[in-house]
Amino acid sequence: MTPTRPDAVRLLGLDFGSTTSSMMVAEVSLGKHSVNGRMTYTNPVLIYRSPACFTPFKNQQIDTDALLQQLSHWMQQAQLEQYPAHTGAALITGLAARSDNARVLSQLIGERIGDALIATADDPGLESWMAFMGSCQLLSRYHHNQPVLNLDIGGGTTNLALGLSGDVQCCGCYYIGARHFRFEPGSYRLTGLSPYGRELLRQLGVREIPAVFETHLCQRIVQWMVQSLEQIVLGNEATIDDGFRQLALLNPDGPQHHASPLVTFSGGVGELIYHFLDHGSWPATTAYGDLGIDLARAIVASPILSRSLSVRPDSAGRATVLGLTLHSSDISGTSLYISNAAQLPLTDLPLLSHLSLDASQETINQVIRLAQGCQRGAAIRVRCLSSETDLPLIKRFAQRLNHARDSTCLLTQTPLVLLLENNIGKTLGNYLSNWGQRPEPLLVIDEIPDRQAQFIHVGRPLKQVIPISFFGMSQEAS
Amino acid sequence: MSVFCPTPTQHIHVPAVAEPQTYDILLMQKRYRFRNLAHLLGAADVSKAGDRIAGLAAADEIEREAARTLLSQQTLQHLYDTPLTDAEGRIDSVMRINYDIDMAIFATLRHMTLGQLKDLMLASKGPRIRELGTALTGVMVAAVTKLLDVHELILLAKRLKHGASAQARTRVGLAGTLSSRLQPNHPTDNLAGISLLTYAGLSMGAGDALLGLNPAIDTVDNISAVLHHLDKLRRETGAPTQICVLSHIKTQMACLQEGAPVEIIFQSLAGTERTLTDEFDVTVELLDQACALMQTHGPLRDTGAENVMYFETGQGSELTYNKHNGLDMATCEALCYGLARRYRPFMVNNVTGFIGPETHLDNFEMTYSCLQDHLMGKLMGLPMGMAPCFTLHSQVTAEGQQMATELLAAAGANFFMDVYLGNDRMLAYFDTSGHDDQTLREIHELEPAPEYLSWAMDKGIFVRDEDGGLERGPNWGKPEQFCASESDYQRLLESVPAAYGFDNAGPRPSNQVARTLRSNQAVAREAIYADLNVKQLTDTLGFRQLITRADSREMHLSNPETGSYLDTHCRLSLSPEFTDVQILVTDGLSAEAVHHNIEQLLPVLQDGLQSRGYHCGQTIVCQYGRVKLAEDIGRSLQSQLVINLIGERPGGDAMASRSLSAYLAYRVADDQRPQAAAFSGNPDIEWEYSVISNIYQKGLPATEAGSVIAEKAIQILTHGAAGNRLESLLKPHAAA
Repeated sequence: MTPTRPDAVRLLGLDFGSTTSSMMVAEVSLGKHSVNGRMTYTNPVLIYRSPACFTPFKNQQIDTDALLQQLSHWMQQAQLEQYPAHTGAALITGLAARSDNARVLSQLIGERIGDALIATADDPGLESWMAFMGSCQLLSRYHHNQPVLNLDIGGGTTNLALGLSGDVQCCGCYYIGARHFRFEPGSYRLTGLSPYGRELLRQLGVREIPAVFETHLCQRIVQWMVQSLEQIVLGNEATIDDGFRQLALLNPDGPQHHASPLVTFSGGVGELIYHFLDHGSWPATTAYGDLGIDLARAIVASPILSRSLSVRPDSAGRATVLGLTLHSSDISGTSLYISNAAQLPLTDLPLLSHLSLDASQETINQVIRLAQGCQRGAAIRVRCLSSETDLPLIKRFAQRLNHARDSTCLLTQTPLVLLLENNIGKTLGNYLSNWGQRPEPLLVIDEIPDRQAQFIHVGRPLKQVIPISFFGMSQEAS
Repeated sequence: MSVFCPTPTQHIHVPAVAEPQTYDILLMQKRYRFRNLAHLLGAADVSKAGDRIAGLAAADEIEREAARTLLSQQTLQHLYDTPLTDAEGRIDSVMRINYDIDMAIFATLRHMTLGQLKDLMLASKGPRIRELGTALTGVMVAAVTKLLDVHELILLAKRLKHGASAQARTRVGLAGTLSSRLQPNHPTDNLAGISLLTYAGLSMGAGDALLGLNPAIDTVDNISAVLHHLDKLRRETGAPTQICVLSHIKTQMACLQEGAPVEIIFQSLAGTERTLTDEFDVTVELLDQACALMQTHGPLRDTGAENVMYFETGQGSELTYNKHNGLDMATCEALCYGLARRYRPFMVNNVTGFIGPETHLDNFEMTYSCLQDHLMGKLMGLPMGMAPCFTLHSQVTAEGQQMATELLAAAGANFFMDVYLGNDRMLAYFDTSGHDDQTLREIHELEPAPEYLSWAMDKGIFVRDEDGGLERGPNWGKPEQFCASESDYQRLLESVPAAYGFDNAGPRPSNQVARTLRSNQAVAREAIYADLNVKQLTDTLGFRQLITRADSREMHLSNPETGSYLDTHCRLSLSPEFTDVQILVTDGLSAEAVHHNIEQLLPVLQDGLQSRGYHCGQTIVCQYGRVKLAEDIGRSLQSQLVINLIGERPGGDAMASRSLSAYLAYRVADDQRPQAAAFSGNPDIEWEYSVISNIYQKGLPATEAGSVIAEKAIQILTHGAAGNRLESLLKPHAAA
């Protein structure tokens, strides 16, 4: 597990899901993209894939000790102590995220994996986004004129992401999954039921929960799930009971849901679907002790859901952890303004607001006052049209922002992070800092795509670039 | 592999240096005198830029015909007895090797004049012509070639196609075939990009001669990695061919000794020892060692391969380095072939046109040299392939290049290059493409090498029609056939710049792809030929204008030195200003780069310099300037730092043709000289350079570049160092 190349950078992904947990470590190089010239991770090679193991639960709670022990074991196998990861993310997902101790656990994981990485729970938007990136980002760029809707179906949730040309446009999440009903493998003898499973039976008019489910009942349950997924694919998600929705796919800020996207699948159920297409056979009845196989069969039989099964995602199984490993951070440009690199990383900074380059003094004052309340520092997104990168506009914005800082007594040690999509970071930073002569901590980080998120994590610099991770993407978190 | 040993050099007999002799003739009542054999040879050729710069070209057509008449009267014995010497009057090692001829056959020819030799060749069949070639030195071959017209150059070469083949894993150069070297060059040697370009070429039936990559990084580690990758691609696709990475021969020998699959070993050759040793770092002894090493350790040694060496040549390299020993370009080229034949190579590739307008100004000069080279090589028994090519700063055009290619296909060239869409992404020049190779095969009814063709038919890349003719098959031009999935293909697509699409129309790229390619080329060429708007810069931005020694664009492009110095009067008008920083704006090879960037860049740069209170001179603008112009100006004005904002040489990308560079030339201060001398190993070091490049909208935008340059200037003046020495001084700070 020692680095295989001298310039290797390690990335880490951890997914603690409703059913299984896993870890991946990738080795990448940092270099220029051959086509667009931007800095990017190149030549990714997965150097460690943990076996998928069951997420340990004890009394409806995640078994913290067992899980941390598992994590230590993996980290030891991947030699992460000797060769730590530069960026990455650990995410508690699906039903595991509903566990009462999920947030505490995410903090413990964060401490274990180090401050360079994000660790969070219950962020279904991030989970959907990562599953898309792990599953079908390249495929979506190949079919660049056609939207791709990825359904990551796991034990507890179906995480949806609609993307175009490799970029996620909007995310959603429903409590539709394989493991709301748990059975003795080889039979339909019930061994466990989630609150969502219980609610579904109620809606189906089942008053007494049978010890052994008849084929007919299983079919009704699976049909309900399939019809719900069909409605989502058709853009009619409003017809689905609100109680099963954690995050609506339709993003009010995003483009409208396309009528006929290519549909791909990932997660455990997705893996079963593509395995069947390749090998022509299904595992034995309830081999995994849940409805995953039945759900996969019904999806293959649905004309709506199976319409583009010939289009294969990059990776179906463990798409989320793959996405977390390779795509949990964006890489900045190389010309940045960083007043003091020793301050990095900066963790859990709130992403306060969006400012346009021509924002008024009053608007800028308001945002800076908000930032003043954030002792650890704050991030602001600066938006500018490509035609707006001319110097007078940059200088005026710098003057206004400095005026706001001077008049609101922003704590001089509180870092202010400005994120931009355009490549003007160093110049804006130089005008803001009077060419490095103002004392306040300031980072102006450019070439970072605009993402819907509440928090960012500013990583340590590497070869003149900074990785930025976004998280806090669910509506609930707001 | 049949073991052969080159003749020991001490066993090659070379006559003593002859007394200089002039050559005189009376033609149409005018006397023409040529002061020696070298001048006679030079004047007998068509006029080419390189020979004009060297003062060897005939002044006009009558003088040329006078030279040809005289030359055709000289006997082979006379040429034999007149070995041409270097500047020190010495017979160099390349000339010596050229005398390794079949003396028995020479004895039957030695009284023949060159005119008689020409007539004999035209009356003979291929095997006899080939036999004559074994008795000729490079100088004799060049001399007789200068007497041939275009039809004769093509006709004789065509007759020599039989027997000009060579065998590695495939046999390349059989009659009725046209092969290609697939050249999947990538600007960063990105393995995914190399895969896609290789797949694209193979899908078009290219690469039967070689999968051969020019590397961006010449280290043993990198070359080995690329060799192993090409080997993997060859094995996975099953294509019967051989691989090569065209690094320096020493690197390849080291790779081979470490076990890398150096199936074919490569080296560029030159026709004079000074060019070969001083510029290419190669000697005859080293080539002998490489040849021996390949026979004992080469991976193809037990496969039936007979030839494992690959050479590249092309008229003009000796002239470019000004190490041509007073010989014209064609004669130097023939001397290369005399050296190449010592090693029975698998391929000799001629890249005439690669250097630029200082050797071949236009389509005619490039085409004519190609036809000469092809025949000269074949006459000396070499398996010649041709790469008629061009750079955008010459006047050679895509149309002219295509016409040259048609003539060379008619002449029976063994192979052409396959550079995807003709646009080399690493070397920034334009060569033939897989589309061109297939088009030529269809026009001239030619096929790839037989071993490869059989594989390509299995793959559906080619099929036979009912009459047995060869046609493109259903999988022709589809690189995705070699990819495992759509995502895999997409991953490869994202690794190749300037790949404008893979849609085809018959054997040609689709119209949309062709239009994108050609409009990009057009914009890039325009950038070179646009005039720098000096008036705008002086009137609006308040620049002061200076002038260089290049008084025309032609001089600027063909003689780079002239743009490196101020015009003498102009320099005398300057007096020292003792500034900290002097900004210089010049067009270099792209005035458009200046026009599109300077107004946004300069105010930021000036603000940055003013923030530290530096004393800056009035900004200077110079038309027809080069990078080193900064030094002449810095010396004249006694500026500590000259920032030269200069247009880069355009490649094939439209936006990048507007790319500007900033060369920060630091005049090493007296108190820094010991450190600078120790760091560089040059006790007389006067200048150190830092460079910020790629300044254009899609690279480093001008507004941001102003800041980047200003910060670098502040670092240089703070630390009293530039370039690698500055970066080494900054490293401890970065770590802290």
